[in-house]
Parts: sequence; structure tokens; C-alpha cells
Amino acid sequence: MKDNLQLKDVSTAEGQMVSIDLKDIPELPVDMHTMPWKPFTDEQKQNTACILDDVCVLNIPMPKNKEEEEELVNKFLNGMRKLFTKENNWTFLPMLETSMDYCAQCNSCSEACHLYEMSGRNEMYRPNFRSEIFRRIYKQYVKKEPLAKWRYGDIGLNWKTVARLGELAYRCNLCRRCAQTCPIGVDNALLAREIRKLFSQELGIYPRELHEKGTINQMKCGSSTGMTPEVVKENVEFIDEDYTEITGIGIHTPFDVQGADIMLLHNAGEVMAWPENIAAFSLIFQEAGLSWTLSSKALAYDGVNYGVFYDDAQTARIALQHMMAAKELGVKKIVIGECGHAHKALTVIADRVIPFEYQVPRESCYVTLHDIVMSGRLKLDPSRNNFPVTLHDPCNIVRLMGIVEPQREIVRKIAPLFREMPCHGVDNYCCGGGSGFAIMTRNNIEQWRGNISGRKKMWQISEAFKDCLGPETRKYICAPCSNCKGQIREVLEHNDLYTKNNFAYGGLVELIVNAMVNVNPGFIKFEGEEE
Amino acid sequence: MSTLFYILGYLAVAGFFCMAYLKIKSYLASSPLHVRWELYPVPHEGSKTVYGGSFMEEKDWWTKPRHIEHMGDVKALLTEVLFLHATFEHNLKLWVRTYPFHVGMYMLMGGTIVVLFSAIAQILGMNPQGGLMIFVGNIISACVLAGTLCIIVGGISLVMRRRADEGLRRYSTPEHYFNLLIFVLFGVLGLVAWASAPSYFELARTFMYNLITFNFAPQTNVLFAMHLLVGFFLLIWIPMTHMGHVFMKYFTYHDIRWGDEPTNYSTKNQQKIMDALKFNVTWSAEHIAGDGQPKTWVDVATTNPAAPKKED
Ligand code: SF4
Ligand code: SF4
Repeated sequence: MKDNLQLKDVSTAEGQMVSIDLKDIPELPVDMHTMPWKPFTDEQKQNTACILDDVCVLNIPMPKNKEEEEELVNKFLNGMRKLFTKENNWTFLPMLETSMDYCAQCNSCSEACHLYEMSGRNEMYRPNFRSEIFRRIYKQYVKKEPLAKWRYGDIGLNWKTVARLGELAYRCNLCRRCAQTCPIGVDNALLAREIRKLFSQELGIYPRELHEKGTINQMKCGSSTGMTPEVVKENVEFIDEDYTEITGIGIHTPFDVQGADIMLLHNAGEVMAWPENIAAFSLIFQEAGLSWTLSSKALAYDGVNYGVFYDDAQTARIALQHMMAAKELGVKKIVIGECGHAHKALTVIADRVIPFEYQVPRESCYVTLHDIVMSGRLKLDPSRNNFPVTLHDPCNIVRLMGIVEPQREIVRKIAPLFREMPCHGVDNYCCGGGSGFAIMTRNNIEQWRGNISGRKKMWQISEAFKDCLGPETRKYICAPCSNCKGQIREVLEHNDLYTKNNFAYGGLVELIVNAMVNVNPGFIKFEGEEE
Repeated sequence: MSTLFYILGYLAVAGFFCMAYLKIKSYLASSPLHVRWELYPVPHEGSKTVYGGSFMEEKDWWTKPRHIEHMGDVKALLTEVLFLHATFEHNLKLWVRTYPFHVGMYMLMGGTIVVLFSAIAQILGMNPQGGLMIFVGNIISACVLAGTLCIIVGGISLVMRRRADEGLRRYSTPEHYFNLLIFVLFGVLGLVAWASAPSYFELARTFMYNLITFNFAPQTNVLFAMHLLVGFFLLIWIPMTHMGHVFMKYFTYHDIRWGDEPTNYSTKNQQKIMDALKFNVTWSAEHIAGDGQPKTWVDVATTNPAAPKKED
């Protein structure tokens, strides 16, 4: 395996091209050990093109003969041609073309990328590595520019290049931190997404968690979790009952209220994994006297839109259903719950993909909550949150939407021991689960998240709490995004950091409810305090 | 021969503008509209810009008038162009090399504009030997000396950096070195022409004067002529390479990175969305193509690939 990786290796190397040496992975102030890679089995190697690194997201079937190899390359080239037509790609073409043409190869973007840094600066993780392979293929084989090899660099194109490029597109959290640092305005994250899109929309190759179990499942039964409208309503009823008991306040979550002001759009993962988040929202909205409702229409109780990570058609289909549900209810606005990619998909992307007449205004829950908290409609006692708190910034909401201060103002008001992480706000780092990774399992993906993608976030967290690490002090990691929470939960659990450091994690609403004076104390549970 | 030289000059100037026009046109034509893909901080957000905030931080923002501080955009672009701010912030080692290189070019470009105006002043009757002209000449002399030195030093150290830095070397193609070295050659020829001629300014102004007045008088200084020939080549070459960022940066920054206009404020965009949704889509994957019939984006967005298949 290559230490001195060159771009051309993608077409020439045999078998697994790179392995990340666990010894290269930086150590952190908190005890976050590395997880050994599980070697691919012979069967996997025979059937699947696991030929990039220690991880395999796409499970591209191994071509059986020359014809199948050629077919893969030709389909890819066809897709690439389509990607560069305005009919097929009006949504992203100008960004794609400028990113193709104007990169100065200055490598300023590398240092910005947590994957590059945390992999021990492995060449493969440079944001520009995959972009440059893609760029060279385009110039040499699609555009066929004169002197392309001399001008833009040579690259061999065969099935291995294609399979490795597809995988490479899934070694990026699409956090766009690299794009922020580029002096030219080149967007390596966009290129990763464009490659994902090409694979999905032309070759029908996608991670099953995003497609079959994600968007398709959502379109089939209403939610990517598999919950049908009946199930979700039933579950929310249980949540209301449970949390009425826990909080001491009668909670009633309304469904399908025609003409309410607000349709609240949760990430349905919360219903299953973090019921306290659903309850906290209901409680706050109820106590603030808002006119609001959830929808039980299929799709409209799940703000998830995994299309954002890999496919324009799926993105638009889901966003349209969300808007239609809100239109049918006749609400004044959709408030998007604590889910970063739902924010980005519905607020920003859908803004120019869905005809305006079908659109319903969308607002971030951080903004709605800010209004509630600052207006004094809730009786809050900050001393109930008398433990160190730090705030994670979900890329989709902060760097990509510019919603930075409302959540901070809330936390500053209700958590006296709040401290920022290093590199916060628009300079934040991805939690490590971004772009769909938080929901992926198998083939070392969990190891990858723990070893590499989630590492920088844990560095930030441990730096924020460096004066009070250890089990004595309770500490709260406020991560108001479902995917980010999933990722953080996993890292904490795997390293037993709950007990070692007395961490709790959760959203913003939980922190608010924890400070509400009419709620039974102790809404947030810390390790050792669970019944 | 001399006429050919001037013709090359005209072609170079025309070539630059044509190529730049074509690049910009193709950018604008590549999409009737693109999705919002803004990246914060966006500098026209006024006081929010400092921390990267946006209008979406406001409750019911769509009911409020839109505030854009254009001066913020201008300031950000100028800071970027004049100081190469992003490279300074994120890649200091590169900045110390690329900054002199860029400043050298700015000096020569600025100098060219001053020379152009001097030639026009001469046409309008200003005495070429007069005090003001001599004063301008001194400034140009200083500019050319500093500018060419900056280009030479910056260019050579950029080449060295590309060779020495393991990461950069992997991404550097022969064209990168060619581009840098051709600039260095341009600088060297400019410098020796400056040193060998009694007045570089005189040479430059006379050339410009001749160019404008179609007076194809032969060049008196061979080094200066060679310096100009390389300059002609660069004028046409720049827009054909990644160095076209000199004008495309406006779009990558202004239109993409800062392009945050919400559709409710733009009836033009509302119409553009409708137009774009009528494009025919030819993607082949089953969940898009379905029955294989040509479809528009509207058809795609309104079909559900997970719906039970209709029985025939
Ligand atoms: S988008 Fe984020 S994860 Fe992807 S290459 Fe850029 S910095 Fe790295
Ligand atoms: S993407 Fe931007 S920062 Fe990265 S190498 Fe290219 S020009 Fe430099």
C-alpha cells in the first residue's frame, strides 16, 4: 500500500489503494482511542470493489469481465457529459464549471479539512485530491481539450478510477470548510456532491442508507425511519404521556390543526431515539402559547431529506411534499426542528427548486426559540443549568445559512457556565457524521467516523472543557441537530466518555426546558443519575 | 515586419476581451438560474457580517424589507484583490511568494493604464517633454522597476515552492511552471529593457501612441519589443487558463458564494424557476427515468419512484 500516493495511482494500483495507519491518527486530550480496521473478507473483496481504503460505502459490484469494466466506465462518462449540460444540471452547473476551470492548485484548502488533518495528513483526504481526478477526467476524456495531459495533468481512466472516485466522494462530510478558505471560490465539497449525484442519477449507485433505506423508504411509508403516520402519532402520544409525568406539566402535541400559524417539522429520528427532544419542543411551544401543529401526512412528519447528500431529484421530490403538506394545512410558516440538513434542504435549496407558488415560508427553530426565550414568555431559572455547557454549530445551519447568533444568545441567557469551542460559529468543524455518515454502518464506516471524521469535533469539545475534564463535573454538549447528536452519541458511548467525563449531550430545547421553573428539576439526565 | 508587430498588439487586446467575454457568457449561459449555494460570512449583511450571520436569523424575515450593504461586497472584493486576504489567512507560506507576484502584475497593469492616458494626453496636444510628463515618467520608471522585480522574485519563488513542497508538487502540471516562467520572462525582458533604454516610459508611451494613431513605426529597442511580444501572448493566454480567475472571481464570489437572494424578493427568479423546470432530463438511473420516457424536471419532481407500480 502506498505511502507516497500519486493521483495516477487511482487507475494503476492493484487492490486496496491506501490504508490509514492508526499510528498516524492524532491523540486527543480526552481518552478517545482508535478503533482497529476490520479487514475486508475474501468474499467481500471478490464481490465488491473495496479498492480505495479501509472503508467501503458504496459496495460497487466487482466487474466480472472486460465488458462489465467497460460498461462501468462508459456509463460514468455518459453521466459526466450530462452533468455538464444545463438541461440536466441547471441547479449546479455554474458552480461546477468554475470549480473545474479556475483551481490554482494552491492547496490552501487542505489545512481546513478535518479529514485531512485527522487522517494524519493522508494525501487521499486532501479536499483537492478527488476534485483533481474528476477534473482531469473531464478535461481529457469528456471535453477532450487539446494538450489536456500537458495542461491539466494525465490520468488513466478505467473501472478502478471510476470505482475509486465514487468511493472518494464518500470520504467528505460536505461541510464546505475547504470552500470557505479557497481564494478563488472553488468548491471541493460541491464537486464531491456532484460525483455522488452522477453515480446516483446515472449509474443508480448510492449508499443504501441514503437511498433504499432513506429517501425511497421515506417516499414509500412516510419516513426514513419506517414509521407510518399511524405509528408516529401513536409514538408521540406515548411521548406526551411519559413527559407529562416527567415534567409535571400536561403535554399535548397537536397534529393536523388546520390554519395553525406554524407547522413544526421534526427529524423523525427524534421520535424514535430522542423523545425528550419532541417533548421539549411541544412543551416550549405550548407554554409560549404558539399556534402550531405537526402534520401526520406522509413525509410531513419527517424533515429528513437525504437527497441533499446525493441526488437532486430525490431532494426536490421530498422538499415538494413538505411544502405541499404545509400548504394543505394552510399554515403561515414551517418551523424546522433541530435537524441541520433539513434546514439547508428546505430553506435554501428548495428556495430555487420549488415553484414559488408552492412555497411556504420557512424559519429555523433557533430563531423561533430565540423569540420565545427573549420575549420572556417562559419563566426560566439559569441556575438550573449550572454546569459547563458548550455549543456545537451544525455546518448546514451555521456556515451554510448564516444562523449563528440566535442559538448563542439563548445559551448565554440560560447557561451561566457557557463556553465556546475553539473554531466556533462559521469556522466550526463538522461533527463527523455530516453528509449521511451519521446513519451509516458496516464496512468500517463506524471505525472511520471514530478514528477520523469525528475526531476534530472531539478535540473541540475537549478543548472547550479542558478546565473541567474528568468525572467530577457534569458537562453538557449542546448539539441542536439530529445527525450531529447521533454522531456525538456514538463517539461518547464507544469511548465510555459519559462515565469518564460526566458528559451529557442533547439539543437546545432540552437545555431550555431544564431551566424552566415550572418543570420538575433535572430534565437533562447525566451519567450516574439515570434511574 | 513592424506592421505585423502592431497587428499582433491589436489582436492581443482584442483577444483578451473576446476570450473574457466568451468565458463570462458561457458562465451566464450555463444556467438560467442556479440553486442558492451561499457560504457565510456573506459580506453584504452589514453588522451581521462580522460573525457570519444572515437575514435568516430574523423572525419572519420574508415579511421584512431586504437590506443589502453593497459597500460590504465591494470592500470584501477589494480586500481580496488588493491583499489576497484569503491566502494570507489560510496559506501564509504561499502568500509571501504569491503576493509580490500579484503586486508586480498590478503595478505593470496600473502602469499600462497610466501610459495609455499619457499617450492620449499626447494626442490631445500635451507636450511629451513637459514637466508633468516627466513626472509621470518617473513614476512609471519606479513602477516598472519594482513591478518587474516583484514578478521575477515572486515567480521564481513560486516555482521553487511548487517543486519543494511535496503536496504542491503532486498537483503541479507542466502548464503551471510554464505560466509562472513566462511571467518571469516577461518581467526579465521588461527589466532589461528598462535598464538598457534611456526611458522605458518614452518607449511605452510612443508604442501606445503609435498603436492608437495607427502609426506603424518600427521599434527602436529590441528588448522592449520582445517584452511586448511576451505581453501580447499573456493577454490572450490568461483567460484561457486558470488565471482567468482575475475576472471570474467576481462570479465565484459575488454570484455563488454571496448569491443569497431569496425567491420571494425576486419575481424574475420566480419566473426563471418555472422555465428551468421545463427542461428535459435525460438521467438514466431507474428512480429518475422510470419508464424511460423523456421527462421534464417537473415530471421528475412530481413522481414517486416508491409508489406501487401500475398493473397493465
Ligand atoms: S467539505 Fe469538509 S470534509 Fe469535505 S473536503 Fe471540504 S473540508 Fe473536507
Ligand atoms: S480549491 Fe481553491 S484552495 Fe484548494 S487548491 Fe484549488 S484554488 Fe487552492
